[in-house]
Amino acid sequence: MPVFHIDGEPVEFEPGEKILSAALRRGKIIPHYCYHPGMSIVATCRMCVVDVIDLGNGRPAPKLQTACSVDAAEGMKVDTMNQKVEEGRKLVNEFLLINHPLDCPICDQSGECTLQDYSFEYGSGKSEMDYSKRVYGWRDIGTFVSLERNRCIQCSRCDRFTREITGTNEFGMFNRGHELTVDTFTDRTMTNKFQGNMADICPVGAITEKEFRFKRRAWKLKKNRSICTGCSTGCNVTIEHDRNEVFRLKPHENQNVNKWWMCDEGRLTYRIMNERKSRINRPLGRVGENLEGISWEEAYGAIAERVREMAPLAQNVIALTDTHASNEELFLIQKLLKDGFSSDNIFCPLPNWEQIESDFFINTLITTDKTPNRAGALALKIKGDAKNAKLKEAVKSDLKVVFVLGNPFETEHDLQQKIKTAQLVVHIGAYHNSWSEIADVVLPGQHYSEKIATYTNKQHLVQATDIAVKALRRSRPEWQILSELAEALGQNYDFTNINQVFDSMSRETKAFSGLNFDQIQSNGIELAQTAKDSGKKLIKAAA
Amino acid sequence: MAEETLVLFKNIRNPKYNKSLAGYKKAGGYKTLNKVFGMKPDEVVQEVKESGIRGRGGAGFPTGLKWSFMAKETGKPSYLVANADESEPGTCKDRELMLKDPHLFLEGMMIGCYAVGCHHGYIYVRGEFFPAIKTLIDAVDELYADGLLGPDPMGSGYQLDLTVHSGAGAYICGEESALLDSLEGKRGQPRVKPPFPAVSGFNGCPTSVNNVETLACMPYILSDGGVDAFKSFGPQNNTGTHLVSLSGHVNNPGVYELRMDVNMKDIIYGIGGGIRNGKKLKGVIPGGSSSSVMTADEVDVLYNFDELAKINTMLGSAAMMVFDEDTDVVQLLHRITRFYAHESCGQCTPCREGTHWSRNIIRDFLNGNGSDEKLKRLDRVGGNMLGTTLCALGDAAALPIQSFVKKFPEDFRKYYAN
Ligand SMILES: Cc1cc2nc3c(=O)[nH]c(=O)nc-3n(C[C@H](O)[C@H](O)[C@H](O)COP(=O)(O)O)c2cc1C
Ligand code: SF4
Ligand code: SF4
Ligand code: SF4
Ligand code: FES
Repeated sequence: MPVFHIDGEPVEFEPGEKILSAALRRGKIIPHYCYHPGMSIVATCRMCVVDVIDLGNGRPAPKLQTACSVDAAEGMKVDTMNQKVEEGRKLVNEFLLINHPLDCPICDQSGECTLQDYSFEYGSGKSEMDYSKRVYGWRDIGTFVSLERNRCIQCSRCDRFTREITGTNEFGMFNRGHELTVDTFTDRTMTNKFQGNMADICPVGAITEKEFRFKRRAWKLKKNRSICTGCSTGCNVTIEHDRNEVFRLKPHENQNVNKWWMCDEGRLTYRIMNERKSRINRPLGRVGENLEGISWEEAYGAIAERVREMAPLAQNVIALTDTHASNEELFLIQKLLKDGFSSDNIFCPLPNWEQIESDFFINTLITTDKTPNRAGALALKIKGDAKNAKLKEAVKSDLKVVFVLGNPFETEHDLQQKIKTAQLVVHIGAYHNSWSEIADVVLPGQHYSEKIATYTNKQHLVQATDIAVKALRRSRPEWQILSELAEALGQNYDFTNINQVFDSMSRETKAFSGLNFDQIQSNGIELAQTAKDSGKKLIKAAA
Repeated sequence: MAEETLVLFKNIRNPKYNKSLAGYKKAGGYKTLNKVFGMKPDEVVQEVKESGIRGRGGAGFPTGLKWSFMAKETGKPSYLVANADESEPGTCKDRELMLKDPHLFLEGMMIGCYAVGCHHGYIYVRGEFFPAIKTLIDAVDELYADGLLGPDPMGSGYQLDLTVHSGAGAYICGEESALLDSLEGKRGQPRVKPPFPAVSGFNGCPTSVNNVETLACMPYILSDGGVDAFKSFGPQNNTGTHLVSLSGHVNNPGVYELRMDVNMKDIIYGIGGGIRNGKKLKGVIPGGSSSSVMTADEVDVLYNFDELAKINTMLGSAAMMVFDEDTDVVQLLHRITRFYAHESCGQCTPCREGTHWSRNIIRDFLNGNGSDEKLKRLDRVGGNMLGTTLCALGDAAALPIQSFVKKFPEDFRKYYAN
């Protein structure tokens, strides 16, 4: 690769690459506002100025250049810190602030605002502007975001977003000169499903998420990298939380999955992370009509005892799971059935789903499969079909023991009635639902924001979550519950952490063979052997 | 004593001239086009290069060179777009050509199209120019009726169409890349360059944008002996005649066609008839409101590209605005700066904020709130727009501010020192 120099350091660049993009890849900071790697270059904020002291031909550029729009060239030498550059930045920042309200104390962007950061770093600290500032009213512009135009620095990222990324053209720049402002068209509000991204890319507090408004100062938030489990795409996210309360999800760049974006529906899944009312907060055992709190030991003991009484068991043991369960959980429940009961009667719902095809990449993010691990279930050969026919067939026989993971088949009421008659129903899950109502033993699991787990997305990419918030005191991660349950039933699993479960899965299954847990945590790894998905349908995006 | 040299205005100065197609043909029109159709496009470009003509739109870029930069064999159509957006304050020469001799311009346009391989040319006319738009549309209709436009002009087999497009009244749409955005139906805003229009212009295709007057010179340059004659009208690198829009406090304002070796003094006192009411000259804005102002002491200079550049101002669109000793320079600058604040497209930071801020500062002087500090600040804010913006409008706003403050500081002081 050709090389140029930034502040004396050699930097490689792809032919045609701009100075700024090459610098950013190298972790070199050049302040900028309007540049965004996913959108066209407009070079209008003028913040990214650098001094090209050698164009590569021995001659300097006649004036400061905008790093976002100038091609890097072999032998080029760029200064990003000399006095000329500092003055160039200072003047831009001064211009940006003369009409800026500087209402940082009540601005949600404060703490993650590049205008604030750069003003602090490169600004002069005083203003010579003594006229009244430009003032606009607040605008309700969409279902998910609101607009405070006084804070806008006219970088046009939002405008380019609805033109180039969503193609919805709902948003634009209006008026000219110092009255240039952003807005939707008269009396309309945005309806695109990706508005939250506009709050992300807005460098200031002009576009902010309604959900997050006035809830927490940004600098209080702790961030854990994870994935969104709102659908089978598995957009990479950070879960942002404070004092064990989750405030928002933000997309985390992954060029293989979601690039820089995620959908608003996915963002809203943060709400369930704070849900307490419907949580199962301790192991429960049925005493007569009622479920009563018991200890983990009592729960495992009761299950083991009932199973022993009924032995021998085989085809009359089944497990039901949803595809919210992680790879490890699916693997373990499958293993438990095989090792403990020589059974492969494990079922999950596999409804048909649709994948949009579109010229605008972002439209392909949302799938109609609202679960994160269908591909994992397929890869592990969990039984299932679009009409639940296989399960219905299995349920015809005389059922003795039923394990239920999560909330599968929740609309199959007849099935539930049938299963209710089994001798022992064990429900493992984080939330109360119709299964916990009919279960004999209920074991409290955890939400994905509380545990480490891997999921296989629609592209067969295995991706991991991280522990973001503390789980309920008496809950346990499902992999632990399943392995302890297996122990109670006489197996010798002895898994003490998720890595061991994953290793075991990669040893024992064809689909996950050769995969290493540590490698997954950064950007995900594709399954070597992928399973065909007959329930997938491609549909063209509506024009 | 300066006199007009009639090349572009040859017909216009003839009181009996009829600007219709028939009239233009009678005066020898469209003969050069016929000759050009017999040449190779490269030869046409070569002749234009040799004539040394520099663009009359403001930047003075050599037209032949611009045409030779047009990307070739791209598999895309090439375009020629005439810049008829004429909105630089003080400039009113393109309007004269379009209104009074539309076919001269159109013949030049057609020659240009042929030279750059364009089969569909666009004429982007300033939105307020209703009569000029009508005249052009009528003239284009005449050409179609005559077969001069369409599938086979003059039996050349060179398919050629022209479309007259009206702007919506924004100065910034005179900047060539903003013009192209506007022509494409978008908000007119200058684009990042490179890529230059010659590589990626109208709809992403190779495009040359040329001023009306530049194109109107083509029938002369490409006529027999035209190149040498054109070169003889001025010093090297400043060839041809050009149209000078003379306005302000002169006795005879108007648009005059002059050689490029005429002294500015002769223009003001000769053809312009001197200063109104016997007053003394105070200064001149030499090349449209974007150029740096000159004081009365500086006007003994040849009125062309290079000589004006030497004294740190510019020929621009050759619009001379003359003002006398009674002129309130602060008000004049306020008027100019207000214009740029209004016309800035607003996308880049220094121009959007700087034009408005500097206008506010100047208004302070007018309201009796000036000070030494504010004068310094005005100069600083102006300077911060210079060379820091995406298009040249930032410079256009900065140059008058900086030059007025530098050359007429006393006029500002009068407003606050008592
Ligand atoms: C702010 C701005 C306004 C301009 N307005 C005009 C105009 O009204 N007419 C024009 O011919 N050129 C105008 N130009 C110059 C054009 O960008 C371009 O250089 C010119 O049309 C090229 O034609 P030429 O080479 O024949 O001069 C303007 C430039 C700027 C920066
Ligand atoms: S946008 Fe940034 S600088 Fe402006 S008020 Fe908000 S935090 Fe402060
Ligand atoms: S609202 Fe935000 S993203 Fe949009 S132009 Fe203003 S500052 Fe930029
Ligand atoms: S300099 Fe002014 S007119 Fe030109 S692009 Fe920038 S804001 Fe627009
Ligand atoms: S980031 Fe380069 S001009 Fe805005």
